[in-house]
Amino acid sequence: MSFSLRGLARVLVTLLMCVAAFFAGRALWSHYMSDPWTRDAKVRADIVGVAPDVSGLVSEVLVQDNQPVKAGEVLFRIDPARFAIALRQSEAALAGGRATLEQAARELKRYEKLGDVVSQQKTEQAQLALDSAAAAVQQATAARDLAKLNLERSEVRAPVTGVITNFTVRPGDYVAAGAAKVALIDTDSLRVEAYLEETKLNRVHVGDSATIWLMGQPTPLHGHVESIAAGIEDRERTIGSGLLANINPTFSWVRLAQRIPVRIRLDPAPDGVNLVAGMTATVYINQGNNNQAGDRPQEAKQETKQETKQDGASQQNRAPASPR
Amino acid sequence: MTGEIDIYGVYVPTLLVLMLATLAVSLLVRRALAWAGFYALVWHRGLFDIALYVVLLLGVFNLSRWWLS
Repeated sequence: MSFSLRGLARVLVTLLMCVAAFFAGRALWSHYMSDPWTRDAKVRADIVGVAPDVSGLVSEVLVQDNQPVKAGEVLFRIDPARFAIALRQSEAALAGGRATLEQAARELKRYEKLGDVVSQQKTEQAQLALDSAAAAVQQATAARDLAKLNLERSEVRAPVTGVITNFTVRPGDYVAAGAAKVALIDTDSLRVEAYLEETKLNRVHVGDSATIWLMGQPTPLHGHVESIAAGIEDRERTIGSGLLANINPTFSWVRLAQRIPVRIRLDPAPDGVNLVAGMTATVYINQGNNNQAGDRPQEAKQETKQETKQDGASQQNRAPASPR
Repeated sequence: MTGEIDIYGVYVPTLLVLMLATLAVSLLVRRALAWAGFYALVWHRGLFDIALYVVLLLGVFNLSRWWLS
C-alpha cells in the first residue's frame, strides 16, 4: 500500500514539474516570439542633399563639417563675378531695349501726325516696330530678373534646420548646378524605425508607447508609434522583359517572417543623449498603452484626431486578439 | 532589458547568456536536490531535470528583467 502511494507521489511530482515547465516555456515563447519587440531598429533622419542652383567656382565656405545650421543660413558662396557681369549685361540690354521702344513710340506718333501724307503701310510698320520693341523690353526685363536670380542663387543656403555631415567643399572647388554637395541632416526629422516581424504587427498600434534602448547606452529613450509602413517590396516577384510578372518558382520550405518598418516618434530626449542617424537600437512596444495625449499638450489635438481616425481599424485589429 | 549583452564588443542576444546562467544554476539545484534525497520522489529523472531547467530559465529571465530595468 505504502509502495503504491509513493509511486503515485513520484508520478505526481514529475508531472507537476512538467506542467510548470509547459507554462514557463509558453511565457518565454510568447516573450521572444509574439511580444512586439525587436533588436533590429535604427535611428533615422531625413537627409537633404543640398545642391547649388548655378555652376561655378566656390569662392567662400562659411560652415564647417558637423556644424548645426539654421534654415536660410548661407553654407557657401559661388564666385559671383560672372553673375554680376551677366546682370550688368542684361541691364544694358534692357536699357537699349527701352531706348528702342521710346524711339519707336516717337516715330509712330510722328507718322500719325502726318496723317494722309504717308502711306498706311508706313504707319503700320511703325506700329509693328513699337509692338516688337515693347516685347523686346519685356524679354530683356525677364533676362535681367533671371540674371538677378542667378546672382542670388550663387549663395547656397540651408533649406532646413539641421546638421551638416561629411562636408568636403573647399574654396576653389568647381560645383555643378544640380549636383548635391552637402548632406544636411534634418534634425527635426530624427526618429527611430523599428523593423518588426510581420507576425508581431497585429500587436502594434499607432499611438502605442515604446521604449528604445540605444546600443551601449545605459538609459532608455521613450517614444510613440507614429505610423506603420503601408508596403514593402515583394521579393518573390519581378517584372520580366515582356512586362509580365516573373514569380520566383523556388518557394522556400523554411522561411523567415519579413520585417516591416514601424516609425516611432521620439519624446523629447533627455539631455546628454546624442542621437546620431544610423545608430542601432532595441525597441519594445508597450501594448495597450496609448493614452499619452496629456503628456504632450502641443501635440494632443493632432494625436486625438489621429486616434479617432484610426479607431475603427484598430478595433477591428484588436477584436480577434482580445480573447487572449 | 536591452535585449543583448555586450561581451567585449560582441553583442550577444540576452537569451544565450540567460541559458548559460540557467545551466549553472540548474546544476547547483540538481546537486542540492540529489543531496537532499529528493530524487527518490521523482518518476523519470531526465524528464524532471528538463522541466526544472525550463522553469529555472523563466525564473532567471524574470530576475534579469527586474534587475536590468
